[in-house]
Amino acid sequence: MEATFIAALAGLTSIGAYYFGARTLGLSSARLGAAIGKMLESVGIVLIFLAVNLAIAVAIVLAMRALTGAFVSAYVTDDTVWVGLSLIQGLAFQWWRGLSANPSSEGAG
Amino acid sequence: MCRLIGLVGVVAFLVTAFSPLANRLNQWTAVPPELEPSDAIVVLGGSISPAGMLSTESLRRTNYGIALYRRGLAPILVLLGGARAGGPTEADVRAEQARLHGVPADAILTEIRAHTTREEAARVKTLLRSRGARTILLVTNAGHLARARPLFERAGFAVHPAPSDTDVQADSPETRLELMRVLAKEFVGWLYYRVAGYI
Repeated sequence: MEATFIAALAGLTSIGAYYFGARTLGLSSARLGAAIGKMLESVGIVLIFLAVNLAIAVAIVLAMRALTGAFVSAYVTDDTVWVGLSLIQGLAFQWWRGLSANPSSEGAG
Repeated sequence: MCRLIGLVGVVAFLVTAFSPLANRLNQWTAVPPELEPSDAIVVLGGSISPAGMLSTESLRRTNYGIALYRRGLAPILVLLGGARAGGPTEADVRAEQARLHGVPADAILTEIRAHTTREEAARVKTLLRSRGARTILLVTNAGHLARARPLFERAGFAVHPAPSDTDVQADSPETRLELMRVLAKEFVGWLYYRVAGYI
């Protein structure tokens, strides 16, 4: 029930945003597919940052255990903050790429 | 390439949050319970806050261990878990809980030095060897048992799995995502132990 409500509400706001964008803001419906592609690209970059962050964290934990003999918990990687930090890194990187490719769009919006 | 990774990520997120996939995977990977009379009940460590608050998982395991003791399935209750940042140890807080629930103090053993599941198996072996304990009821969450059971078997015990979370069902998007995170963590831990040759 809870999942159905959440999915239905997200679906409704997505449809509402589409009509608002297309009719009120005059956005091109034909460019929606390209926008979704850009969104997937951003998510992909965030996931790459997440994987790299976690892999390096585990490597550092294992190296510290081997070098110092002291116990360092690998559960340092088991924290939701990694997702938030990777999101910030990934989005900044994606915008940097975009603005470097098209400097004239800087500050737009 | 980034788009493909993003597509996989978005699909995985939506399927996990809005389908029974996490529960099905949990059932598929879980070690089924074998609640047989044993020489000891061994409750593996979860986590504790520096202020001495047991985590939900730690409390669940502790309560289940106490319940198994009260059902008369073993005469010894072994409680594990160290401390964080100078706070009380998890094992001592659990032992206090057990005493409050009527477990006699002389039936409780604690171990506070083990940091990993592998170390827990080695410490429990030392702790129980002098008492002649050979069969144990091993209490931890079902996903963790896949890694913990072979470690304790290698330590020389006949292990009866006693998963503490058999009646836990993830029934909202958030709890399904949390369950999938736990399953992924346990899979990585199991894989690491396999590659390292611990199990």
